[in-house]
Amino acid sequence: MTITQSMGVVSGSTVRAKNVFKDIGAGLKNMVGGELKAYTELLQESRNEALYRMLVDAQSRGANAVVNVRFATSSVSGGAAELLAYGTAVTVQ
Amino acid sequence: MELGFIVMILFYIIIPFTPWVLSLVGTLLYQPSQKKALFEREANSAKSGDTLSTLSKPFVGREVQEFELVMASVVMGPSWIQIAIGGILSLFGGEINTFTKVVDWARREAKQRLREQVASKGFDDVINMRIETTVMSKTRGNKDKTTGVEILVYGTAIKY
Repeated sequence: MTITQSMGVVSGSTVRAKNVFKDIGAGLKNMVGGELKAYTELLQESRNEALYRMLVDAQSRGANAVVNVRFATSSVSGGAAELLAYGTAVTVQ
Repeated sequence: MELGFIVMILFYIIIPFTPWVLSLVGTLLYQPSQKKALFEREANSAKSGDTLSTLSKPFVGREVQEFELVMASVVMGPSWIQIAIGGILSLFGGEINTFTKVVDWARREAKQRLREQVASKGFDDVINMRIETTVMSKTRGNKDKTTGVEILVYGTAIKY
């Protein structure tokens, strides 16, 4: 497989939060320490969403692959997190 | 009189201190048991060599048959007691041991999850591995309350 053409940098992002009850549950778990499963799940779901949006962006440019994918995360405010996925869209043959 | 006494005990002793007792139990019993389980899992997967091998291209120039983007993440939070001890220690400066432990634990857990995922999908190696850390915090009033750190480990899994 060789890369024939570069279509530029594509990215996808999403900001998500869990509902109040999950937040309270995580707050209680925080007392004990250890893994906060609700947030782990939340971030996995939203990372998949960000990845999917990046792929949609790449497809709309006519690319058939994305290489050098990177992730970035930042927490915006209480319980909400922004997930960003970006990479180089290319055509591969 | 009797009822007033019980209500007083409830409001001044039981309600304020129960979370701290729970937190102490969690720090001393629950967390070590989880860490022990993690050590066993690590020892199990270390038998067949570490799959998370390199941060860039593969060392051996063999043909790659299959590849896939794999990722694993975990959110870990310090307990109330650890936060309190950390707050006291940060007055003096130097290493804040309680936080170091939690972040280190989270990172090992995330890496171990990636190893298990890669092994279950039948891949041989992970190249181009990256580790990402984010602090999840809650602001209440003007106080910044850290709830946890998120560790993401991702890379390209390959099959020779």
